[in-house]
Amino acid sequence: MSVGRDTVVRRFLRHRLGTAGLVVIALLFAFCFLGPLVYHADQTQTSILAANPAPGTQGHPLGTTDVGFDELGRLMVGGRASLEIGLAAGLLATAIGTLWGAVAGYAGGWLDAVMMRVVDTWIAIPALFLLLVAGTILRPTVGALIVVIGVVSWLVPARLVRAESLTLSNREYVLTMKALGGSGARAIGRHIVPNAIGTVVLNATFQVADAILLVAYVSFLGLGVPFPGTDWGGMLSNGISYTYDGYWWMIVPPGVAIVLVVFAFNVIGDALRDAFELRLEGR
Amino acid sequence: MNFEMPIVRRGMLARRVRPAPVAASVLATLGAGALLISGLSPASAAATAYRSAPHQSTARGAKGGGTVTFAEPPNATPNAIFPIATAGNTAAHNSAIQAELYVPLTFYDATSGKLAFDARASVAKSIVYSNGDKTVTVTLQKLKWSDGSPVTSGGVEFFYNLVKANKAKWANYVGGQFPDNVASFTILSPSSFRLALTSTVNPLWFSGNELSLVTPLPQQAWDVESSGGKVGNYDTTTAGAKAVFNYLNGQDNHLATFGTNKVWKVTDGPFTIGSWTTSGAVTLDKSRTYDGSDAAHLSSVQLLPFASADAEFNVLRAGGLDYGYVPTSDLSQSGYLKSKGYTVKPWNGWAINYAPYNFNNPTLGATLKQLYVRQAIQMAINQPEIAKAVWQGEAAPVYGPVPQSPPSAFLSATQKKNPYPFDPAKGKKLLESHGWRPDSSGIMTCKSAGSGASQCGSGVKAGTVLDMHTLSESGSTQTTNQMEVMQSELSSIGVGFQASYAPLNTVLSETAQCKPTQASCSWQLSFFGTQGSWYFSPSPNGDPLFATTGSANFGSYSNPTADKLAVAATTSANPAALRAWSSYLAVQLPAMWLPLPAYQVSAIKDTLKGVSQDPLAGQTIQRWYLANG
Repeated sequence: MSVGRDTVVRRFLRHRLGTAGLVVIALLFAFCFLGPLVYHADQTQTSILAANPAPGTQGHPLGTTDVGFDELGRLMVGGRASLEIGLAAGLLATAIGTLWGAVAGYAGGWLDAVMMRVVDTWIAIPALFLLLVAGTILRPTVGALIVVIGVVSWLVPARLVRAESLTLSNREYVLTMKALGGSGARAIGRHIVPNAIGTVVLNATFQVADAILLVAYVSFLGLGVPFPGTDWGGMLSNGISYTYDGYWWMIVPPGVAIVLVVFAFNVIGDALRDAFELRLEGR
Repeated sequence: MNFEMPIVRRGMLARRVRPAPVAASVLATLGAGALLISGLSPASAAATAYRSAPHQSTARGAKGGGTVTFAEPPNATPNAIFPIATAGNTAAHNSAIQAELYVPLTFYDATSGKLAFDARASVAKSIVYSNGDKTVTVTLQKLKWSDGSPVTSGGVEFFYNLVKANKAKWANYVGGQFPDNVASFTILSPSSFRLALTSTVNPLWFSGNELSLVTPLPQQAWDVESSGGKVGNYDTTTAGAKAVFNYLNGQDNHLATFGTNKVWKVTDGPFTIGSWTTSGAVTLDKSRTYDGSDAAHLSSVQLLPFASADAEFNVLRAGGLDYGYVPTSDLSQSGYLKSKGYTVKPWNGWAINYAPYNFNNPTLGATLKQLYVRQAIQMAINQPEIAKAVWQGEAAPVYGPVPQSPPSAFLSATQKKNPYPFDPAKGKKLLESHGWRPDSSGIMTCKSAGSGASQCGSGVKAGTVLDMHTLSESGSTQTTNQMEVMQSELSSIGVGFQASYAPLNTVLSETAQCKPTQASCSWQLSFFGTQGSWYFSPSPNGDPLFATTGSANFGSYSNPTADKLAVAATTSANPAALRAWSSYLAVQLPAMWLPLPAYQVSAIKDTLKGVSQDPLAGQTIQRWYLANG
């Protein structure tokens, strides 16, 4: 097993784009979480008389926002929220979907039918619509956004893992364990989920990317992290109001950051897929 | 004694402002005119200051007909037709449309710089005061309904009867005022009626602030108790009037049927409804049956809704609107718009801006009732800075209950001077001197309950956290920025402040008078002033806002001294009465005073003529026309 794991890592690292994605993510995390330790900018008190100077003026490398926040510092704070929500919501969605799909596939029969019809029904409702409804009911906080986005995003992993589970639950080692009196929980926890881990991990990367985009969507619609907090989607939404004023520094940096992080997670996912498939071929 | 005046209309608006040089002169003249009037007898006032607005007839080179597109305020859509407005339906865009469908008894206009009775936009021809200003005789001009019936004093009595029986539901009702102050309504003839009043009134106030609320209604079509019911004289009994009101108000709640409901097809105005969607898109078509002297020039006018000011500006910039507005964040685009054939000019108002506190809120009501708390909060708000930086100079600070700018005879020295200049350190000290201390998150918490001089005050429980939530109207980047700046400024004195956002109609409907035990009393602070919170009648009496019985006293402010001053201002023609009100409430802070933005910075296509930007927020769409070429 350790040989296989080493192979996956090596094959992943040979995927140049995937490796580049990993580096980008690492740099963005460092920028957002370590940056504020070395670059100090007040991100709670507005300074409206210092609103909107261009980059490089008045000690603001990236200018300021419309209420006088330093844009570079804002980018760090916003990125922290976007990455936290995206990562946590993506993992939450993956966890829910994995458990749901594994149980459905393993149980089969009427329970499988009921559980998957729930998925079918839920997936027919646009996630953005659900998020908007939730956004009008709940006061948006980082925690609430994680839960809400996680709850609307678990459907795809549920379907994927269910398909894996259907196959795995008929494998001899699972049937043997059942014949020896092993419980369903043990089968799922010890055999089905671990053996579907390639699919789960691969999907998790896409889930994180999708969750970051969803955060951007809801923030763009005004339902994001409440002031004085922010996230990249909220920053972008705010900046769009100043399109005609030429305040590009309120639009380009958060826009580029969103593109970068989503692209990075996607190429990591691609690299992981290639790495896992090669591992299987190796068997 | 003849008194051919009236003056304006009271309206809960959602509009914006600022003291632009042009508007300042307009308002200054208005203020001076009002002062002049106040100091004169009604008869001489009528001769001196109240004259019909000059008629802007269709100019040479104009072409009749045509369609014009007009932008509605951001995220604020018309939602009512019935002229007897109920709570939540009082926004200016509603009354503007209503005035095009149902001609008001009196219409005033200050576009020319002087307050003027606009006879052509009114049903009233003359208003005569007698019996020591306790009797009012009104003569109507000749006008007819779209069903062919004449507009008569019976239609006015119908309005009076409905309001009298349903005054608690009427959004403009103030206890003791119309219709309470009418002892009897007598029809003298189909074209004249007499009101016997319960006491002497200030004619300026009564004509301008009371009669301007009256709209003759088609009794011959609307006096029914249910859909399909037979027309009768049900309004003559209280029970009947209640049933008729409920029926009509019920029809007014069916937004989806506004364009088709036959009830709203009977009109006497220059326009009729072409279509009305639930999303707020309204088309007004020229009335083919209007027989007055103020017929519409255009074939139709399309009033278009926008979710945000940015969305509106995108359409405007693409040339998709004949009459729109420029968000203050995009004022740098004025040159571009001019090059595309638009004229850009601010529309300023005779208004104030404020956020009402809910004094009956079960959590914070007792705290907000403490004057020192309101003083501390007011001292933490840097209005000049917000006006300059957030509103790009297109707003002006407000320090009291009468219009701050331009200076008028009604503006007290106290309000003019600003009794609570920006001083957050002083505000914080004020809280701390009354037993408040910041908790671990920096928010002030009452540590010393009681009514002593150094304690939190009567009714404030120990442990109360000074953390406010406000519901603000959405759709404007400047409003959002203002809320963010306020949050930041209030946090500096330890006052928590969170804002959530909703469309204007939602904010207005949720900002309701309430009892502490009611679920609807959960709101603590409300903001609906992206375009100004309140546009005044010519006489800027604020009794609807802050008198105990005021219909628009959303936060249930109650102060006996303020009530006495309010009554005095309705009976005395001396502007000193309103100055006393101005001075007292500037100190008492019945609401959080906030900068007043311009109603809007308009962008009007050069081919669209006849447009007036009335500081009283009225619109005379019937006078718009398209120039040839």
